[in-house]
Amino acid sequence: MSGLAVTLAISVAGILGATVLGVLVGCLATSKSYLLQKLTGSYTALLRNLPLLVKLVFLYYVVSLGPLTAAIAALVLHQSAPIADVVASGIRSVAVGQFDAALALGLRPVEIFRRIILPQTVRVILPPMTTQYASIVKNSAVVSLIGVADLTFQTQEINVQTFRGFEAATAATLLYAAVTFLIIGAMARRTQAR
Amino acid sequence: MSLRSGWQHWAWRGIVVATLLAGALSLARMDWTRVAPSLPFIAMSLGRSWLLALISMAMGAAVAIPLALMRSYAGRWPRYGATAVIELVRATPELMVIFWVYFTLPLLTGRGVTAWTAALVSLAAIAASSLAEIIRGGLLSVPAGQIEAARALGLRRIAIFLRVVLPQALRTMLPALIAQLTALFKTTSLVSAIGVADFFRAVSVTNNAVFAPAPLYTLLAAGYFVSCWALTRVVRRFDRQRA
Repeated sequence: MSGLAVTLAISVAGILGATVLGVLVGCLATSKSYLLQKLTGSYTALLRNLPLLVKLVFLYYVVSLGPLTAAIAALVLHQSAPIADVVASGIRSVAVGQFDAALALGLRPVEIFRRIILPQTVRVILPPMTTQYASIVKNSAVVSLIGVADLTFQTQEINVQTFRGFEAATAATLLYAAVTFLIIGAMARRTQAR
Repeated sequence: MSLRSGWQHWAWRGIVVATLLAGALSLARMDWTRVAPSLPFIAMSLGRSWLLALISMAMGAAVAIPLALMRSYAGRWPRYGATAVIELVRATPELMVIFWVYFTLPLLTGRGVTAWTAALVSLAAIAASSLAEIIRGGLLSVPAGQIEAARALGLRRIAIFLRVVLPQALRTMLPALIAQLTALFKTTSLVSAIGVADFFRAVSVTNNAVFAPAPLYTLLAAGYFVSCWALTRVVRRFDRQRA
């Protein structure tokens, strides 16, 4: 059972970190600055084209972070790229014309962004963000490969020690599905609340 | 871009050149002597990863097409069945799917499978569950009016599907299909966990033997990046052609 707690903790940390980083990069990507566009573009291209496992072992063996830190950092980096793309396209879908209209009303750019663009963006991006969060939970299974004792790791331990592999695998699969549905449910409630 | 942002173009070029120089310098400073004898082995394993991705993609497509047809056109029970299978595989972590096929299913059937078979089957299942949705989306993207028009012209159902729906659906699906191949290629790295000598495993085995993590894992990242990036460029070209 401790495996579920580890999976949950890593997933929650991953979701929080990836959201912060992804929103930051996504906002910068919509800037008109050529340099910022190129920098954020390279960021997402680099992270999108590397498997999570490669990031994980790189952080673990080459950067030599601890297993838990490496696990969370890899998950955050891995999912921040698609989240940044989701946020950027969300902002672009809202911003056309509204920015100019708000500017004409005398609002400052920072204010426009915080009070007009972002609230509308949140509503647009909630469904794709749900998918992203669900894949963080799914991807967190990979951290068992560097010895983090998560749900997948414990399932394999039970298989090796007691040969109750079928029961363990069934329970773990159901638990992963339950966590995923929990996230989908919570996000759906937030969508409806708006 | 206005004249004012000219400095940003130069700054970006500077950053690119500086990054390339720093990369080349740090590559040159790494110790490659211990890694060099293993390079052919590693290069071959990259080919094996490609092979894994391509074969399991083809196998997955073969399963995905009937699944997608069942989910789009069949009666209620086959449709529920197909939906349940697709969603079950999609909700399970990829690594768990691989462990299911390699460790758990043999417990039930009593017959062991080789790691290579298990890798192909599990990757095909993962691919099939995503491909079925892509194919369904492609089929649904063809307007219903065209099917009705074809029927009004007296075409038979098979002819309608093969000559009216499929060609148009394929064109819509192509970018998503190649993106799926990229995702599958990244997922192949996970089959190293059950002992298949793919690119990832070849590099980590070499590292266990000669212990040179910095050059080896840089090589690992470069191999995956170049492969996936090339595929991404192909997607872009198709996207642009369509636009």
